Amino acid sequence: MDQTNSVQDLASVREDWVGVEFDWATFEMKADDMVAWAEACGESDPRFTDADHPDFQAHPGFTTHCMSGRVLPENFPQIGGGFGIDGGKKVEVHGPIRPGDTLNATTTIADIFDKTGRSGTMIFIVQRMEFRNERSELVSTVDWKMIKKAD
Amino acid sequence: MTKILRFDEVELGDDLPAETPDVSMERVTNFCRSAKHVFERFIDHEAAKKEGFPAAIVPGIMSQGLLAAMIHRWAPNSSIQTIDTVFRGSLLVDSNITMTGAVTDIDEADMTVELDLAITAEDGRTGVIGTAKLQFSA
Repeated sequence: MDQTNSVQDLASVREDWVGVEFDWATFEMKADDMVAWAEACGESDPRFTDADHPDFQAHPGFTTHCMSGRVLPENFPQIGGGFGIDGGKKVEVHGPIRPGDTLNATTTIADIFDKTGRSGTMIFIVQRMEFRNERSELVSTVDWKMIKKAD
Repeated sequence: MTKILRFDEVELGDDLPAETPDVSMERVTNFCRSAKHVFERFIDHEAAKKEGFPAAIVPGIMSQGLLAAMIHRWAPNSSIQTIDTVFRGSLLVDSNITMTGAVTDIDEADMTVELDLAITAEDGRTGVIGTAKLQFSA
């Protein structure tokens, strides 16, 4: 495939798939898990390590472990080579996550783009999970960048 | 300044105190259990070698958590609004890794501060780079 076709294909995939919501899941927030996560990260702030603290809440990145299993939408086209590697995570904290909260997560394809560097052209697929509590308040957004080598 | 207690103490270009976090096998295993993220490449050196790694590796999401904890120690009265990390290379379990950070922007009106972040592996490679935005209260 030449470079022009490849760019056109990626533009077409973007047009078809960016914004598509493809997964839904529910997660129960437990104090013990929240404390264990924070302590393993070396956290010393009691807001995150002491379940009895009046402002006890989940560590900022706690929702990054909430995976429901589906990585890409059903029928998503094969672009790039291989399964893809984890390129990084961006977390936005919109509000505190408390123990006992039930978070409803929706997953969308947020962006698809490519970058060319010394290693050649890489394709980035950004999967976005938005977490809302039982009051429908958005509390966390996690963008996961999956990186694949272009064919 | 080693610890920031008020917004007006932050200066553009300030460095956060560098830290060497605990990424021992015990600590990483505890993290993996808390994250329900128990894969052999994180908790077993020999299994990781069979997957092509030099040793067991620190999960990317844990490295982000280590950086968040460093930020909270530096500015205990702040709240992290965003933290964005790029996983550039593997960080090995049971190695000495170094976390650094620096203030890159200050918004006086919003009382927010932006940081650049990095984690360097024992051999000097950059394993993680990132940014964070913190909110201070009045």
